[in-house]
Amino acid sequence: MNVMARRAANPRPRGRPARYLLAAVIAGVVVLVMVGNSVLDYAFLDTIPGRTSLYGLITVALVALATFVGVRAFERDPDQRSRHLIRAGVLLGFAALLWLLVSDAFLFAGAAGPMVAIACAAACIPTTAFGLFVVRRIDRNEKEPWRLVLVSAAWGAIVATSLVIWGESFWEAIAVRTLVPGPGLDATRAFSAGLLEELGKGTAVLLLFLVMRNEFDDVVDGIVYGAAVGLGFNFMETLTYMTNLYAIFGPEGAGGIAAGFQWYARQVLGLFMGHATYTAFVGAGIGIARQLPSRRQKVIAIITGFLVAIAAHFSWDAWLAFFPIETSVLGLIEVHLRTVVMTGPFTAGVVALLVLGLRSESAALSEQLRMEAAVGTGAVLPEEVDILTNPWRRFRERLRALDRRGIGAYVRLARLQAAQLDLAMERWHRERQELDAPLEAEEELRGRIQTLRQQAAF
Amino acid sequence: MATAQRDPVVTLYRTLLVYGLAALVILTAGLVEFLHFEPFGVTAGVRANIAGVYAYDPSTGQTSGPDRSTFTRSEQFAAVVNWSDLPDSITVQAVWYDSFGNIVGQDGPGKPSDLNSHRIIPAEKPSGLKLHLPGQYIFAVERVQGDQPVEVLARRLIEVERT
Repeated sequence: MNVMARRAANPRPRGRPARYLLAAVIAGVVVLVMVGNSVLDYAFLDTIPGRTSLYGLITVALVALATFVGVRAFERDPDQRSRHLIRAGVLLGFAALLWLLVSDAFLFAGAAGPMVAIACAAACIPTTAFGLFVVRRIDRNEKEPWRLVLVSAAWGAIVATSLVIWGESFWEAIAVRTLVPGPGLDATRAFSAGLLEELGKGTAVLLLFLVMRNEFDDVVDGIVYGAAVGLGFNFMETLTYMTNLYAIFGPEGAGGIAAGFQWYARQVLGLFMGHATYTAFVGAGIGIARQLPSRRQKVIAIITGFLVAIAAHFSWDAWLAFFPIETSVLGLIEVHLRTVVMTGPFTAGVVALLVLGLRSESAALSEQLRMEAAVGTGAVLPEEVDILTNPWRRFRERLRALDRRGIGAYVRLARLQAAQLDLAMERWHRERQELDAPLEAEEELRGRIQTLRQQAAF
Repeated sequence: MATAQRDPVVTLYRTLLVYGLAALVILTAGLVEFLHFEPFGVTAGVRANIAGVYAYDPSTGQTSGPDRSTFTRSEQFAAVVNWSDLPDSITVQAVWYDSFGNIVGQDGPGKPSDLNSHRIIPAEKPSGLKLHLPGQYIFAVERVQGDQPVEVLARRLIEVERT
């Protein structure tokens, strides 16, 4: 296929793609909803969430600014990347600190105390970090950049929880004043949690899909980003429940046990089976939409992903009461069984999509690597194809580099392998006509691979 | 003759659609559950009268002080209901729900005239605890049909403070 033919099949967009406009509209709606909720909460409820929402606005503004600066670092000003990244990091740090301070000070610190909040956070950080590590590793062909995985988790922890506090406060305020207490009220609370929390979390994945298209390749990437958002949300929710229950049961002498049980249930037993699973469905829907040809199918896939996430979340919240836990030793077994029975099928569903996605991605990359090697550009050598298509062989090659030339050689080879897989991914998307980047980008990537190959030579 | 390979993304899309159908079933079941416990348009056309919620002394079984909407965790409190305002043609009950949604006090179900001697309904501390749970308590006077409450005739929301 000659260059002109490929260029015609994949025309260079004249300006920014329309998806950026859609992303800006969604971001604007999120901000407007937050501002509206905040003002109404403060005016009509004047409760703890009302006050939190006002301070939360500052946090949201900082997160938005940090995201803008961070994206700019990679999209617009690569020569000043580190300076922008530091600025974005500082802003995110301030936002996270402010949110923790505000939520703790206004919600729980008065009763549980700041030391308890810090201890709870310290207990949740290693487990959440482990979760993010595993989730990132499952994308064995092309791992997502840590910066995007962490931004996803930060959105889940800070922005989504802010949206949820306000939305659920309203819903709760209306429901308890109008409905019969009991299963009906529980069901409406479950609808509230499923709908609002999944919308709040899923918006992050949708924005990544619209703005960071180069790092959002397929269903596997969607699952990774979705699960990362879910893990971030789960982190903050665990913190909230732990400090809350410590404050409630502390005076009874059982604060540590209550908080510890919450930690185990949410950070060990439910680490991958709760929010991570739900939002992974949103990501899966968006990831599948990424590769579908028609707009109608894309919209259906995205809506279906949200729908499955909402239903999975709803089923847990609404029907938890049908699986009561005894206060005996048997209760310990029941807690595990309940999680496996109620959330296990959904997690299995995500895993099935992941396996199908990985299989399809691996086959496509393998084919593209062979085709690239056959073209003879030198970006991928024929003898490298089998190594690049196998994660373990890639790792063994890097270990060989480490053994011969030290850690620097290991890192340089890792960069070369990542760039070669990037190229295969780029070719795959171009073949499927899923790219709006110009063909020149692919040529630049080949040039970069040649440079990396020279650096990695040993 | 070469056979056309099916696009694996189509397989993923169809799998997702199957999940979507299952999700619709789950959400429909939830909606049916909600409508079952919260039947629309079912109303007796009467309102109950909650005289107030007061501090309560379990040893004497009497309330004291003014009508309040907030209590501390260590305080005892009870609601006072005027059952005589309700017709005997309906079955009613009065229930306290704590902030976890557990029932922590109840009178009825029965005819209003049968409940006249139980005007004071205290909120009990949860079993095994020395203090009330903090958060929002709901006191509801409910109309019962069969074994199921179908309408709230009156309600009060009480805040039990954290400290």
